[in-house]
Amino acid sequence: MIAAAIAWLLVPFLAAFITALAPHQGRPLTLLTSAATVAMAAAISAGWVPESLPLLGPLGVVLQPDALAAPFLLVNGLVVAAVVLDGADPGGDPTGGPSPEPPKGRLPLLALVLLGALNSAVVAVDLISIYVALELVGVAVMLLLALGNDERDLWLALRYGLLSNTVMLLFLIGAGLVYLQQGTFALGAAPLAGGVPLALLVGALVSKGELFLAGLWLPRTNAQAPLAVSALLSGAVVSAGVAPLLRLAALTPPLVPVLQGLGVLCAGLGVVFALAETDLRRLLAWSTLSQMGLVVLWPATGALLALAHGLAKAALFLSARGVPSPDLRAWRQRPLAAATAVPLLLASGSIAGVPPLLGFAAKGALEKGALGPLEPWVALVGVGTVAVYARLWGAPVLGLGTPKEGEADPTAGMGSWSLGALLLAAALLLLNLCPWVRPAWDALANDGLGWPLLKTGATVAAGVGLERWLETRRRPWGLPSLEGLDDLLAALVLLAAALVLGLSR
Amino acid sequence: MDPFRVLEALVLLTVLIGLLGLLLRRNLLLKVLAMDVMGTGVISLFVLIAARSGLRTPILSTDTPAAVGDGAWADPIPQAVILTGIVIGFSVQALLLVATTRLARLDPRLDTARLDRLTLGPDAPT
Repeated sequence: MIAAAIAWLLVPFLAAFITALAPHQGRPLTLLTSAATVAMAAAISAGWVPESLPLLGPLGVVLQPDALAAPFLLVNGLVVAAVVLDGADPGGDPTGGPSPEPPKGRLPLLALVLLGALNSAVVAVDLISIYVALELVGVAVMLLLALGNDERDLWLALRYGLLSNTVMLLFLIGAGLVYLQQGTFALGAAPLAGGVPLALLVGALVSKGELFLAGLWLPRTNAQAPLAVSALLSGAVVSAGVAPLLRLAALTPPLVPVLQGLGVLCAGLGVVFALAETDLRRLLAWSTLSQMGLVVLWPATGALLALAHGLAKAALFLSARGVPSPDLRAWRQRPLAAATAVPLLLASGSIAGVPPLLGFAAKGALEKGALGPLEPWVALVGVGTVAVYARLWGAPVLGLGTPKEGEADPTAGMGSWSLGALLLAAALLLLNLCPWVRPAWDALANDGLGWPLLKTGATVAAGVGLERWLETRRRPWGLPSLEGLDDLLAALVLLAAALVLGLSR
Repeated sequence: MDPFRVLEALVLLTVLIGLLGLLLRRNLLLKVLAMDVMGTGVISLFVLIAARSGLRTPILSTDTPAAVGDGAWADPIPQAVILTGIVIGFSVQALLLVATTRLARLDPRLDTARLDRLTLGPDAPT
């Protein structure tokens, strides 16, 4: 079993090597590898894989393909498959800059490396494997951002690389201090090592999960990067930091309130900035920030929420290709092609928590968790989230009557069906039947579905009302811009310092 | 005073100096180099942790039997771990420096605030 698990972890990298040699094989190889990842997630949920596979016992080198890993693996596999199905952004993309099309095979190659690194980060439970996997994620993302190869893209890549490597150095210090005290690199030893090492580890993981102040680089990067890369970033890359963070939080009870405070702040900040935004892609990025805040609120429900959010956000970015202009101010005057509108509406509905999409079940599970005093704040964030996405719902839709098979729909002429976005939107509907989501539905159904449905209805109504009211106000409201490199570095250091102070008591 | 604690404090001071350089320098090249100073500090920390149990290089060889030299062995695990860290740090550093040389075409002074402004896209908010 151990050999099979290691082989499964190595397959993406092997496929990446083959893609480097034979670029034309990149797409089929990536799809196969994604399928293997999804199959692994299914095998875990079917109970065919042991929860813990020790490789080197005393040092804590263990793989844990457990129930927490499965949703993250699923989102990794599906998002990478969807992005590669749609391919790199075509040149002269109306929503992005004039990025030239990258050479064939580069996107699948880097997506494969990214997938391998993400999978390792999700199943690893020792600090050094997590470190190596996260560094590899960082390098892959940096190269993905630089795919366009002009100076704007390079600057984004360099900013990301600098920030990511800095936080990983802090992580390594934390890992060293844990080893110094406990003599092992196992994740389970981190809670015993005291406040400062724990704070350094958490700070790095929080930064990798794009939470709160550490996620401030996201809006600008997502607004300028190719949409395929944005989909990978907001859909899958965030899981690399969040999965180990949730593992750590499950092992460390004192960490949970700290993360809850951070998560609520992060969710609120993201919603406020998203409401003030006038650009579709920046709005989506701020919403990622806010949703990641909700993911870390409760370790038990985080994975499901991350799954729902990752699939929906990647679908939103992929379908944003068919949007005539990312400017939100005249959104309701510009019609959308049905091929764009259907995945866009499904995915945004899921994040807003509309039944029967996956987001509804995930939000329901979150509210079932013992949120205690946080509950009104989470409800407020829910209303804000609906208001954010209600901004995308008003546009008239063209050609709704066209059959779904018409992939090269000539009538609209503004965008064809995106296979990737459709795959993700379908997953949002179909995953409700899968075994991790069923308990969430069952728990909701036990107390009667009436109350959650009523609550969701009220939330949606309040959100739409809020959006209509805000629509009459003039945007932008002049919120501070904190997205320069120096702001980002300062934010990281502040966050790390706050965590050290907060956790070393 | 325990020499290990003194060295540990010095190593962490190196990391702090690197971090301050990263925060306070406006020049991109200096920022990247400051990050390398931080990296050097982290590597020294691991070497120091390895040396806590002894100073002998933990390599068995047939030429010099284990009996030669009576010092205690250094801990091989942190050394092995940081070897990976060094390789990763080196490759990331190389990648950042390549990107920096390309960006020097845009702004030869490599001023980060200016680069932030210059690279704002046409669709960015003003």
